[in-house]
Amino acid sequence: MSKQAGRAGGASKRQAEDGDICPVCKSSRYLNSTMEFKINPACYHRMCDTCVERIFKKGNNMCPVAGCAKTLAYKGFRRATFEDLQVEREVDIRKRVMKVMNKKEDDFETLRDYNDYLEQVEEITWNLILNIDKDATERKLDRFEAVQKAEGNAGVSKREPTKSTARVALNKGIVPEALNNDDADTDFSFRGLKKRVAPPKEAPFDPWGGYNIAQQYYVLQDNYDVDWYARMKSDPAHLVGGHSMQEYCSRALREAFGGFGVFIEDEIAARDDPSMDAGVGTEHAAAAAVSGDNVNMDDVF
Amino acid sequence: MKLNEDDLYRSSTQFRNWSFTAAQLATQRRRINQQATERVKANVARIRAQRAEDAIARDSVGEGEKENGSGTSGANTPNAVAQSATEVDCLTAAEEMKIVDEFCERAVALGSHYSFPLNVVSTAIQFLRRFYLYNSPMTYHVNTILRTIMFMATKIELFSIHVSQYAQGAGRNVSTESILAPEYIIMQGLRYNLDIRHPFRAIKAGHMEMVEMVHGKYQGPANGMSAKEVQAKMLQLPTNVDAPAVRMPEKRVEERIHAAYATATHTLRTIAVLTDAYFLYTPSQIWLAAHLLADEPLTLFYLSCKLPPSSPHYAKLLGVLRSCASLISSHRLYTNTSLPKDERDKREAQHQTEVKRLVQKLKNCRDPEKVDLVKLNQAQKRDAVEGDALEESKAKRRKLAREGYEKEADAFWGPELGKGAAVGE
Repeated sequence: MSKQAGRAGGASKRQAEDGDICPVCKSSRYLNSTMEFKINPACYHRMCDTCVERIFKKGNNMCPVAGCAKTLAYKGFRRATFEDLQVEREVDIRKRVMKVMNKKEDDFETLRDYNDYLEQVEEITWNLILNIDKDATERKLDRFEAVQKAEGNAGVSKREPTKSTARVALNKGIVPEALNNDDADTDFSFRGLKKRVAPPKEAPFDPWGGYNIAQQYYVLQDNYDVDWYARMKSDPAHLVGGHSMQEYCSRALREAFGGFGVFIEDEIAARDDPSMDAGVGTEHAAAAAVSGDNVNMDDVF
Repeated sequence: MKLNEDDLYRSSTQFRNWSFTAAQLATQRRRINQQATERVKANVARIRAQRAEDAIARDSVGEGEKENGSGTSGANTPNAVAQSATEVDCLTAAEEMKIVDEFCERAVALGSHYSFPLNVVSTAIQFLRRFYLYNSPMTYHVNTILRTIMFMATKIELFSIHVSQYAQGAGRNVSTESILAPEYIIMQGLRYNLDIRHPFRAIKAGHMEMVEMVHGKYQGPANGMSAKEVQAKMLQLPTNVDAPAVRMPEKRVEERIHAAYATATHTLRTIAVLTDAYFLYTPSQIWLAAHLLADEPLTLFYLSCKLPPSSPHYAKLLGVLRSCASLISSHRLYTNTSLPKDERDKREAQHQTEVKRLVQKLKNCRDPEKVDLVKLNQAQKRDAVEGDALEESKAKRRKLAREGYEKEADAFWGPELGKGAAVGE
């Protein structure tokens, strides 16, 4: 972290100058206007893209900055978003922590619990940024990630108990291990976390909405021994996909007995005859005809 | 919740909006006739008064023109000159009914002229009957309405034909506009209920089942009998109600079923559609009634399989079927078939003169406001042209609004590309 010194206020001018000269090959932007600086998040040392191509294109190599000696991969190089690389690093760390520690306020029972959780997140973040207890913190983060993964899988396995992958995850004992670690490392557990509830199982779809059509007067037979029926069965026009002879018979029979036991004389006389009212249409249409001129109803007298 | 066939039928618009008791039908027709009569008289009186006023005004100006009332609006009031002094002689409800019946028969002829399939014609006839339940022929002439209804029926029964093609076949004086103009009025009159439940497919199902019965393969409800017992009973059915039961070979009975089916179908197609049966009975009852007319013992046996004769419903249903059958068999066309030829011709001629007289009478009592449906239709449209031009203020307002929209569109999408721009100036 040779650049850390650059954070001091007085050195800002120097850094600007510095920013135009590659620390590895010392070539200047003055000579090469298309020069671009890249960093690798493993060590955050700046170097120009020509150097990156030259040193790392052929495979992993050591960081050329004196005293660093970290092995860097070509894949990891990118342009820095922030000029201050310290900020760049902090943002990266926060991104990583937020990806793992992503509980929301809704996941907690009280606001207090959520705030305690945020406190822990912040602690982990700062430990990583300031390199305090780095190994322990990293381990904690990994463990938490594993627990969360197991939880997610548990939810899946509740919904689809036949899924073998979920079984495997459970059988491997990720959850118990995590719980054991929990016991050992008390500052890891979060208070007031709500229990995960699997969504209720959806009922199978019923296209009839609970209604059941029970024929009273007929039974649909598999075959009918009528000449036109036999003729239709061999007719290519009736053999195309989606056309069902059975369906035709079903419809015909339904029509044959639709209203078989409906006595209009009784039923219509019994009901309060709104249909005989000459004011055509529904009440809404009538109201619209009265209120607005643009509804052009031809009054039936 | 369980639903049977009857519940399904009860949910149809035909049952909900277009089923009536006989008394209701009569009341409705009387009421419509009365209202139409009042309206026609009022409108004719108003127009006459106006014309008289115009004549006086013209006289005072001093023009030498003869006062005869055949001015600009003369074309709109048929025979206004002839009966300018007398009261309008309006149709009665019974006469209106006769005219509608007559035009139902003409619908059949119109359908065969276009060679439309049966269901188009039947649907058109039912539409016509429904329409004239809430409208009077005096208001909208049956001829114009029938033309449009037939065209609409082709669309509804998926037998599409282009309007221009249809108008071409309809006669020399028929334009596409005159066919399309009353569409909206008709749709309103039909209350947007376009589903007509015909008994044609139903009778096919009944025929199908009877053939199964005679083959001994019937599986439906049979009053506790097995398929073989049903078959045995069917083979022993008497040919006539009074005739003794004789066992007949299977082949003969099957032929008899086919014959009954053919007769009943013919009755349904040619006569039942022309009656009020669709208003008064359900399609199931209509086809059974037609079948009852065709072969009574067979139909009664079939019925007894479906409903045990001991149940109270059976007697009631049979009563309904018989009344429906008598409605069908009392139709002129049905009774005609059993008459000797010269008697039939005589009656037919009598009927024709009667109809001719009524149509002539209708000509003299039409509502002058509703004669020109094309013009009425145009007046209802958005850019209605009154006289020569649109009302000036309205036209101006519309032009401003249109320009506003264009400007808005240009602000967002940019102005339209000029023709020169595409070529490259």
